[in-house]
Amino acid sequence: MTGRKLLMTFPVTATSHTLADYRARGGYAALAKALHHMSPEDVTKEVTASGLQGRGGANFPAGRKWSVVHLNDGQPHYLCANADEGEPGTFKDRWILEHAPHLLLESMLIASYALQVRNAFVYIRGEFDLPYRRLAAAVEEAYAAGYFGERILGTEFACDVVVYRGAGSYVCGEASALITSIEGKRGYPRNRPPRLTVRGLYQQPTVINNVETLSNIAGIITHGAEAFKQVGTPKNAGTRLISISGHINRPGVYEVECGYPWAKFLYEDCGGILNGRTLKCVIPGGISTKVLTRDEVEKLTLDQKALEAAGSSLGSGGMIVIAEGTCMVRLLQVMLRFYHHESCGQCTPCRDGMGWLHRIIDRIVAGEGRPEDIERMYEISAANDGTTICGMGDAAGYATVGILNKYRDEFEHYIEHKRSKFAGNLEAIAHA
Amino acid sequence: MPEIFINGQSVPAEKNQTVMQAARAAGVFIPYFCWHPSLSVAGNCRICVVEVEAEGGGWVDIACNMPVSNGMRIRTDSEKVRAQRKATLQFITLNHPVDCGICDKAGECTLQDYHFAYNGSPSTSRDAKVRATKFFPLSERITLDNERCILCSRCVRFTREISKSNALGIKGRGDESLVRPTEDGLFDQDPYSENVVDLCPVGALLSKSFLYKARVWYLTSTPSVCPGCERGCTVKIWHRKHEWKLKSLDPRQNESIARVTPLENPAVNGPWICNKGRDLAKIFERARADQAMLKGKPVDLATAIDSARKLIANATRPAALVSSWGSNEELAAFKRTLGGRFATFVKQDWQPEPGERLEDDVLIRPDKNPNGAGARALFGAAAVVFDDATDLVLVWGEGFDFGRIPARAKIVFLNAYLQPENGHADAFLPISIQTERSGHYTNFEGTVSAFEACFRKKPSVVDAEALFAALATPQGVAA
Repeated sequence: MTGRKLLMTFPVTATSHTLADYRARGGYAALAKALHHMSPEDVTKEVTASGLQGRGGANFPAGRKWSVVHLNDGQPHYLCANADEGEPGTFKDRWILEHAPHLLLESMLIASYALQVRNAFVYIRGEFDLPYRRLAAAVEEAYAAGYFGERILGTEFACDVVVYRGAGSYVCGEASALITSIEGKRGYPRNRPPRLTVRGLYQQPTVINNVETLSNIAGIITHGAEAFKQVGTPKNAGTRLISISGHINRPGVYEVECGYPWAKFLYEDCGGILNGRTLKCVIPGGISTKVLTRDEVEKLTLDQKALEAAGSSLGSGGMIVIAEGTCMVRLLQVMLRFYHHESCGQCTPCRDGMGWLHRIIDRIVAGEGRPEDIERMYEISAANDGTTICGMGDAAGYATVGILNKYRDEFEHYIEHKRSKFAGNLEAIAHA
Repeated sequence: MPEIFINGQSVPAEKNQTVMQAARAAGVFIPYFCWHPSLSVAGNCRICVVEVEAEGGGWVDIACNMPVSNGMRIRTDSEKVRAQRKATLQFITLNHPVDCGICDKAGECTLQDYHFAYNGSPSTSRDAKVRATKFFPLSERITLDNERCILCSRCVRFTREISKSNALGIKGRGDESLVRPTEDGLFDQDPYSENVVDLCPVGALLSKSFLYKARVWYLTSTPSVCPGCERGCTVKIWHRKHEWKLKSLDPRQNESIARVTPLENPAVNGPWICNKGRDLAKIFERARADQAMLKGKPVDLATAIDSARKLIANATRPAALVSSWGSNEELAAFKRTLGGRFATFVKQDWQPEPGERLEDDVLIRPDKNPNGAGARALFGAAAVVFDDATDLVLVWGEGFDFGRIPARAKIVFLNAYLQPENGHADAFLPISIQTERSGHYTNFEGTVSAFEACFRKKPSVVDAEALFAALATPQGVAA
């Protein structure tokens, strides 16, 4: 077991995602509690007190984001659930959308109540098929049961939700690109300032939270902020959904209590490294977080503070396990191909930098690397650090620098000998 | 009012200004590609970075999207800023072909200027550049070189925010993004389309009519006023510099309009003009009349003027049609010298052409003459009606049907262009055109703009202002 659980608290069955089952588990009681016994400010206070941090990658405290929105300012406010789960290695929101869509919807209703939102949106990744169908069915059920629309649960509170499907863009998972896409425009990120909580969707104050972040709200309202803080570590309350993949015996989505020992998680809960191989490194939270070596991983606990101290981040919870014998040059090639393909092309450093990085790594892999290529990749990464409109340039730079710092010898070997230090492919097996 | 400090100097700023605007207002230069004072902030080129000094370090961010706050301290040329601009220019020139030698923009290209100001070193890349479309026909007037394009999106924003045609967009992602028309033919219908050529900070968008016609450093510009409508946009007429006069090729090129660009003027047209204003050569370089005639028989200019003077002196009920293309000075000269003798009407020299846009809320106005307002101020707006006793009509300028003139009336005709009516006049006097003299026009809002002479008139052609004085003199003087 991976510690206490807040989200994956029920057995998944053929009907566990339906409204009937959700209500049998006590669903929509938190909404009733919020609407009947709490003011919007109380809800925000409770969320702030819980210390809930964003689960989409940036770990920004949800309560602090919410409290930027001024209540009773006469303006429409918007709420968007970010279900555009696109960070490579991440598939944890998908679990919520498939198996607990009502948990998300109830939490969104509570958040809409707290933020005085009349119209809420779910921006769901276009490639998600089953999650979309489950969510759309849940929305139908919730409308039929009177949880959306006018006079919800007999109160003055009214709220509608729209499920908006993306069209396959990584960048549209970035909050400002997401709302630009909802507006029907090309999914370009926006310059800050203004912050989206000041001028977001349709130029109105907008809160955008990750699906997992939002899904914790119902529990926080039901059991209180104190109960939530009891789970996890003092600095990182609650649990994290970790989607683990790569060279691991039991890949999948796990709910892990913050502060859970990493080694135990890998070797016991996930059944150890694939085919009995040795662990080489782990990309902890989606490919945009810096890679951590076996020595680092085995000493760390699974919480944001510990990973930050090690120079990385739990990011979006998309954990990729890499076994000994894997060529990091080829791995970086795959990653840079992705960043090149997904750069939206709006601002200069990322638009041209991603293609440049990709061409360099392709050349190295083709055996035409030059000694200065490594320095060039460092330069391009540095020139993308904090210089782009959204975080994508930085993210690609972190990923590149993270691998170059720790596995420079493999790149030098590849450039000098025109072939990988290992067999040259990701699935190479080192054990004799 | 917040006060900010740029490079240590105190600079006053307005409350809602950005650092870019405050710096420009104070005369501090910050480079930019995508930013434009008349367009929304895109913040995509990243060249306008400045350093904000703060306790415990500072940060570097783009000036075009940075709101001013009281007491903020900005460095526009710190080491961090220089390093980042250099890195940005490395990115911008990464896939740019750097074919300045055959690029029309060379000499007035922002990328060229910034490269020498902020980068100066060759590309550090050894990889092949991304290839893209050359000579993409964006419209009938404009060709696009996608390899030169730095995707600043100025042209796209122009069609959305200024001309409102929404004719351009960007398709594709990353370094394969391409500026493309949103619909086929839509950009052809945008009467302001050629402004994107001036807006383009590099040589990606080029005017087909100017393509490969001249290196810009061989040209000079003369301030002028577009005569295409009563808006009277101020323009620059570009023509060959005297010191770069062509000797062996067609010498007419030395006296011809190479291109027309807007002369920025907040009172009238801002930084834009319409496509008609770009085509002034089509108006001014029509076949010219340079031979004075009496009833179609060529005579020398002095003889023709003398005959015309006598016709006027002998007339009992003369009428005059003055040109709404005459300058304020010429119109005033007519009124001063001959005005007392004539029943005077203002003539619309030009009517809208079939298919021409009549009016919009950007620049284009329905009256297609530049100085109707100036002429009406002197001579009123009465409709042209000839008295039965009219025995002489002086027609100044083109565009009047001689069939409307009473049969017994003599005709004195002043025209600059070769037209059939010239030979029907009792006295025909060839006059100079706008590009051969200086003067002023008054636009429909009463704003007066000046134009200057670009070329010299032929000796066989007379300036209307001098002509009126000669026609009014009892004994006559040689022109």
